[in-house]
Amino acid sequence: MNALRILIVDDSAVMRKIVDRSLRQAGLEIQEVFEASNGVEALARMQQTRVDLILSDINMPAMDGLELVRQLQGVENAKGVPIVMITTEAGEAHVVQALSSGARGYIRKPFNSDQIKERIIPLLQG
Amino acid sequence: MDSAHKAEGRNRVQLIISAKSSGPGDFASKLAGLPREETQQRFTQALDSAAAEVFEMMVGTPLGPSDQATLPRVADYTAMIGLAGDLCGVLSFRCSMGSAARIAGKMLGTDENTSAECIRDALGEVCNMVAGSFKAQLSDLAEHCMLSVPTVVSGKDYQLYPLVDGLRIQVSKTFEGALIWMTLDLHSS
Repeated sequence: MNALRILIVDDSAVMRKIVDRSLRQAGLEIQEVFEASNGVEALARMQQTRVDLILSDINMPAMDGLELVRQLQGVENAKGVPIVMITTEAGEAHVVQALSSGARGYIRKPFNSDQIKERIIPLLQG
Repeated sequence: MDSAHKAEGRNRVQLIISAKSSGPGDFASKLAGLPREETQQRFTQALDSAAAEVFEMMVGTPLGPSDQATLPRVADYTAMIGLAGDLCGVLSFRCSMGSAARIAGKMLGTDENTSAECIRDALGEVCNMVAGSFKAQLSDLAEHCMLSVPTVVSGKDYQLYPLVDGLRIQVSKTFEGALIWMTLDLHSS
């Protein structure tokens, strides 16, 4: 697997750092991490940048994670890029909504690096 | 966190949480049929294990036991999150300034001084995750209970008046030897 370019979307700067650290602890080789604090910023970033993976919270101001996933369907740079939701919302309805919007995976907060590895590596390999 | 609010000085903070139901009310109906003691015990266990899970996985420090039954009137930091839907009320997390700084430092993976903004962000996230984990541990609740954006209050010269009239669930623990508290104040209906 080549070194990865990853976009982390969360309105909490602390949480973005934790996700970044967990990815590295999971053994992923990372070339560059981009950060966005909401869906609007993430969408703007994706208009200019190609990444290998997007990890996004759901509950965020300006544009939530579910709307971001829907809007990314129309962004050329996002085509084929796996999107994984990382959120405190663990209800089945949220999971179904996220997956039907186009997300490829779902991780509930709190999480550890083993869960990150288990859910993310298969997406990057397949 | 951008949306966290801070109040200092002689402030009185009032929290008003909407009692509007968001779902079919299955969980509320089941709850209404249970003896109060059973509900209290079930919620206490769920809150206890939610806090344990968050601190072990996200802060990297297991919580220790505490026999402190009394909730302090105020703490240096209080993080709060509202619940609305089948379960209505406020979940709050309280700790000292030292504990708040240590929690934020451990979440960020640094021993260096953390900024007040990072501390508020970290405590808001801890409260958010404890609430999310609490919901996930009570079957049926996750679907029909919504969480608000967290609010963090710092400073000691204030009083909190959660406008709820039902059950109070309280869990105290120790974090690196210092007391921390989690309280769930619920509406009766």
